[in-house]
Amino acid sequence: MRGVAIVGVGMIPFGRRDEDTLVDMLSYAALNAMDDAGIGDMPIDAAYVGNMGAGLFNHQTAVASSLVDRINLFPAAAESVENGPASGGSALKNGVLAVASGYFDLVLVVAGEKMREVVGPRATDVVATMTHPQAEYIYGATLPSMAGMFARLYMPKYGITAEHLAKVAIKNHSNGLLNPYAHIHSRITLEGILTSPHAIVNNPFVADPIRLYDCCPVSDGAAACLLCPIEMVAQFKKPAIAVAGFGQATDTHTLQEREDPTDLKAVRLAARQAFDMAKLSPGDVDVAELHDAFTILEIAESEHVGFFEKGEGAKALERGQTQIGGSLPINPSGGLKARGHPVGATGVAQAVELTWQLRGEAGQRQVKNAEVGFSVNFGGFGNNVVAFVLRRES
Amino acid sequence: MSHLVGHRCVECGRLMNPRHLRCLDCNGREFEEVPPEGECRLITYSEITSLPWGIDERSRILGVVEFENGLKALGWLRTDKAKMGMRLNAGWGPVRVVGGEEVYGLTLVPAKSSSRTR
Repeated sequence: MRGVAIVGVGMIPFGRRDEDTLVDMLSYAALNAMDDAGIGDMPIDAAYVGNMGAGLFNHQTAVASSLVDRINLFPAAAESVENGPASGGSALKNGVLAVASGYFDLVLVVAGEKMREVVGPRATDVVATMTHPQAEYIYGATLPSMAGMFARLYMPKYGITAEHLAKVAIKNHSNGLLNPYAHIHSRITLEGILTSPHAIVNNPFVADPIRLYDCCPVSDGAAACLLCPIEMVAQFKKPAIAVAGFGQATDTHTLQEREDPTDLKAVRLAARQAFDMAKLSPGDVDVAELHDAFTILEIAESEHVGFFEKGEGAKALERGQTQIGGSLPINPSGGLKARGHPVGATGVAQAVELTWQLRGEAGQRQVKNAEVGFSVNFGGFGNNVVAFVLRRES
Repeated sequence: MSHLVGHRCVECGRLMNPRHLRCLDCNGREFEEVPPEGECRLITYSEITSLPWGIDERSRILGVVEFENGLKALGWLRTDKAKMGMRLNAGWGPVRVVGGEEVYGLTLVPAKSSSRTR
């Protein structure tokens, strides 16, 4: 297989974007990535478009064909990639494989979601369609409730408290303030969301023990990466970021069938594959973007990918290790918690953030001397996970 | 499905719910139906206060339970208070309207001996 590099990235600010259609957003992100790389009129061989729910959110299908038409990528091969909230990660992985195989040279990976077109309970329902239709969905299971059932087991087992969860939210909101692309730009405090008498009003339970501020927002947004073989990187204007490794693994659809429901097996396996391919270890990572759709997941994933031993993730958070300026900054973008989570977009948005970090272009949230980045894109409730290791090319 | 039923692999004996066409352990393709037996025990739960479109309730408690024969399932707890390890009796009733049709599923009420936990 050929080595693959990211030579251009683009994004649009996440949030509520009433003025844009889904294809508008995908187009803006794609053009930003193409301009970032400076490809001019070079033809793009293929486009992979990550999207989870346009059919349900926006009454639109065949989104990739629409994108090609909107920004004149003809006659590029194009297809949509749907893998729930890991659609972006899957689209990126498929793009990487297409370049690595030698079949395509210049590949555009775009991912996006327009969720705010529907009201909140409808969005909750659309996202819940990823649960098992007969064993979970019919009961009204939501993704926060899956996180709630997971947290109720994981927290006492590994000494994690509601305060730890709140501190993940506070850290990621603080990081989001430094990210002009973030959906949420608001500082929150422990008093405001947990310890003061009015905290329960500010931060009610959504699916106990998961509270409002333990959940990512419902966002619109899109992000894009332009890929090429390593040997072509000199043709582009920006420093190349190598896709040093990737991994993808699956687990049972329902939580109840997992031998140990506190074990995020697909996260463990995907991370191990990515590190093995990159010939690197968790200790080599300088900056990480983890899938904190719920605060408990940032801590649990940080343990499952090997950054910390089980039970040590919350302690590392307490010590400030995962802050910008700490020994392993996690989610300097603000993560899903503050940057936002347009579900299909997230896997690519993580790669965009890591690319900016590894190039030294992350502005006020820059992690110093970052050379290796790592991401986890968590699909379903951990039943389909994609991980990447990105590395700055010297 | 008119009631909760698990599927036990004829080859290796693994009990599964929901149904699979290949055993999660041995890839066997023959199964026998296994109904739940006895009371069940609450393994984990969450009270949802932000429910999806189509469920017009203030809150709903969902939980994973394990029956005495090892069958596990998610169900709707028809109680205001849940406690880890509590014992529940299973029923079968309407749980949601999907696509205009009433769908039935597992409903759970505290067993009379619900103060017993293990």
